[in-house]
Amino acid sequence: MIDLPIPDEKVLARRQEIANALLRIVPDGVVADRATLTAYDSDALNGYRQIPLVCVLPRNAQQVSAVLSFAARENIRIVPRGAGTSLSGGALPLADGILLSLTRMNNILDIDYENRCVVVQPGVTNAGVTRAVEARGFYYAPDPSSQIACTIGGNVAENSGGIHCLKYGLTTHNLMGVELVLINGERVRIGGKHAGDCGLDILGVIAGSEGLLGVVTEATLRILPRAPVTRTFLIAFADTESAARAVGEIIADGIVPAALEFMDRRCVDAVEAFCAPGYPPGAEAILIIELDGMEVEAEDVCRRVSAIAARNHAISSRECASAEERTRVWSGRKAAFAAMGRLQPDMLCMDGTIPRRALPFVLGEIAAMSERYGLGCCNVFHAGDGNLHPLIVFDVMKDDELERAEAFGAEILKLCVKVGGVLTGEHGVGVEKKALMGEMFSPTDLGQQERLKCAFDARGLLNPGKVFPILHACVEQGHMHVRNGRIPFANLPRM
Amino acid sequence: MQKLSPRDETEIADIVRAAADGASFEIVSGGSKRNMGRATEAGTLLDVSALSGIVAYEPDELVLTVRAATTLTEVTALLASRNQMLGFAPADWGPLLGAEQGSATMAGIVGSNSSGARRVKAGAVRDHLIGARFVNGAGEIIKAGGRVVKNVTGFDIAKLMAGAFGTLGVLTELTFRVVPAPQAAPVVALRDCTPESGLQALRDAASLPLEATGLAYLPSSISGPQFPNGVALIRVEGSHDAVADKTARLMKAFVAHDPIMLAEDTGAALFREIDNGGVFRGTGSDLWRLCVPTSASAEALSASGATNWYADWAGGLLWLELPATESVAAHLRAITAKHGGHAMLMRAAVQSRKTLAVFEPEPPARAGLTRSIKAAFDPKHVLNPGRMYEDL
Repeated sequence: MIDLPIPDEKVLARRQEIANALLRIVPDGVVADRATLTAYDSDALNGYRQIPLVCVLPRNAQQVSAVLSFAARENIRIVPRGAGTSLSGGALPLADGILLSLTRMNNILDIDYENRCVVVQPGVTNAGVTRAVEARGFYYAPDPSSQIACTIGGNVAENSGGIHCLKYGLTTHNLMGVELVLINGERVRIGGKHAGDCGLDILGVIAGSEGLLGVVTEATLRILPRAPVTRTFLIAFADTESAARAVGEIIADGIVPAALEFMDRRCVDAVEAFCAPGYPPGAEAILIIELDGMEVEAEDVCRRVSAIAARNHAISSRECASAEERTRVWSGRKAAFAAMGRLQPDMLCMDGTIPRRALPFVLGEIAAMSERYGLGCCNVFHAGDGNLHPLIVFDVMKDDELERAEAFGAEILKLCVKVGGVLTGEHGVGVEKKALMGEMFSPTDLGQQERLKCAFDARGLLNPGKVFPILHACVEQGHMHVRNGRIPFANLPRM
Repeated sequence: MQKLSPRDETEIADIVRAAADGASFEIVSGGSKRNMGRATEAGTLLDVSALSGIVAYEPDELVLTVRAATTLTEVTALLASRNQMLGFAPADWGPLLGAEQGSATMAGIVGSNSSGARRVKAGAVRDHLIGARFVNGAGEIIKAGGRVVKNVTGFDIAKLMAGAFGTLGVLTELTFRVVPAPQAAPVVALRDCTPESGLQALRDAASLPLEATGLAYLPSSISGPQFPNGVALIRVEGSHDAVADKTARLMKAFVAHDPIMLAEDTGAALFREIDNGGVFRGTGSDLWRLCVPTSASAEALSASGATNWYADWAGGLLWLELPATESVAAHLRAITAKHGGHAMLMRAAVQSRKTLAVFEPEPPARAGLTRSIKAAFDPKHVLNPGRMYEDL
């Protein structure tokens, strides 16, 4: 189980008073009855649940600012939340914390084709950004698989990626500016419609800060002109090594596909049984490759990819001939989670990144672990950037299956670090992986990261219990927030 | 000034940790960036040029790790041997700042965020720096980021190092993602355009799905005899077939601007000079870099009053030859206040870089954050004190 800060009894006892204070700030946006609060008790890491103290849904940045300065004044913890699609528990509530839902701040404030950007509030969905600009031939590139539901505020907090980030980058590469509300209620603008190279790159640490540094109330996002041609290939291999080698050769050849996805046999079987996308039978691994660009450019790259597939003994290689076929091929990939979910009641989706060359080795090790733990596992992942998503299926009602699944997942992530990779490629650390941070960072490295946290939030009120394995206090020293040694939070005993 | 020349990361950490109260260091590697940013008033010169060399280069993974003071020349040659390059087109500002060509080091490039023309497509230094090791102001050796491109494990501290001018840590090791070099990178020159119509053409080109990797405008005052009326330059990249198609489309789209295809060498040389501020190399004059939203570039330019200037990043970056005076600083910052953006004093005498705000002054809330972040990395202001802001 995970460690979360022990609730402060004094705050719990003030629940009604706190709700009333929040009602004065947001008269039509406070949820305090327990039945309704249950709707907010988890995010997409739904093995962990906690009903929040109270939930507040502000409509504008002034209200966010007022909520945060109230919380800071009263020393109450805050958990920001977008659509609640985090796979790492980034929006898991605290029993003594205010859940700050940004979903009602869902206006697109400005569409600026001249500067190729849009300015949005944090509750606008990822897909909503593209929808707003696609009539003019533009789109917003990051496309996490939850893009219909997930919000831009959450995307910034998690530095979300998606299928197309191999070519077009993560959120951080497409984020030009934010308005950030600090825990004391101050509103700070960082970046904007201009190139942001002056002063410290604060925007660079806001992206992916998992709600620990501030609350984004406005984001300026780069939009791109849509490539006129998109071509999709489905290539099957008789063994995973050949598929992995083909991936390496595509990248080494200088090709940057818009997407390069890998599914192993177990995953293909599950998906075929689920929605029959027509993947070739008998394949140990398939690659879905999307190439985009101008017509001539795409044609040239398609030729090279086909040659690489043939050289690596692909058992079949076909290009989607129609938009319908492309949709069908992608529907299988996108249904992978749901398809695996039918095999067992519960599922863990891991998210490590490894160097591409380690793919065959790591896949072999995962298969061996699957036997050892006695739990099913399939692999579906963004192969172009080595971002693995092993899906472990289990039944939480059976003996120790949850514990075994978590141990299995942790072993996979440790292996990722051991071969030169990292714990999380796009889902974030949250509560899920915080205990593993020590695999990648020394206590000194983590100490530096915690001091950065202290620079924004000296009392640890913003989303505490996430990212860091152990909470340390920041000690105020003059006007500077400097951590004095490593004093554990005295009032935060562990569960 | 006392000078220390540590041989490795451990010695740097020892030196910083052992520093007496009130001690401070000016960090140098190649040397040219000493003439950039505010003039620092450190007591000791910390020369890290011994930390040089390639740590690991994995062409198939598109990842390169180097020690901090490795020169750009060495890195460029190594990557070229495998047909790869740094995606952000690192600028060599050495000659511009009075040092030798090719002496720029990777730490200096990261510290000063020296991104070239490819930034319009590929992003800045920070978008390509995926990991870093550094010694913070407490003398601790810190690892940030990793060696894979896709990584959201913990805060992205490596990004903070880009553009921090050594005020947060002494960089010791840097990991970059690298990109395949394109087969061809031709440049289309639009020979008939005013600054206004030229900058508009660059914005129009940026909205075409051609993934232009260079969008610059040179006015007649600096464009040379080949382009007597000034010139807008558009670079595209790809395979030979792909660029033939893209340039044909550009020629057609901008036919009203008298377009011409430049010889590959000519185009490459022009963009090298644009990256490096080459046109101002020998002049010795004061220089500013003004960043505004691209749609405001023509108005910002005419408001600036500069006669010698050029535009990069589709107009988002204006290099301006203007004196380093209080009134110019105030004037440029009135422009950025109106349009958004920032003005940075790029080159000036030491005295001016002591008295003027070299970097865009920050509003109070943001300035408070900058100071808190500095304190989180270098609480005693040991590293490059005053380099970015007077009290920091």
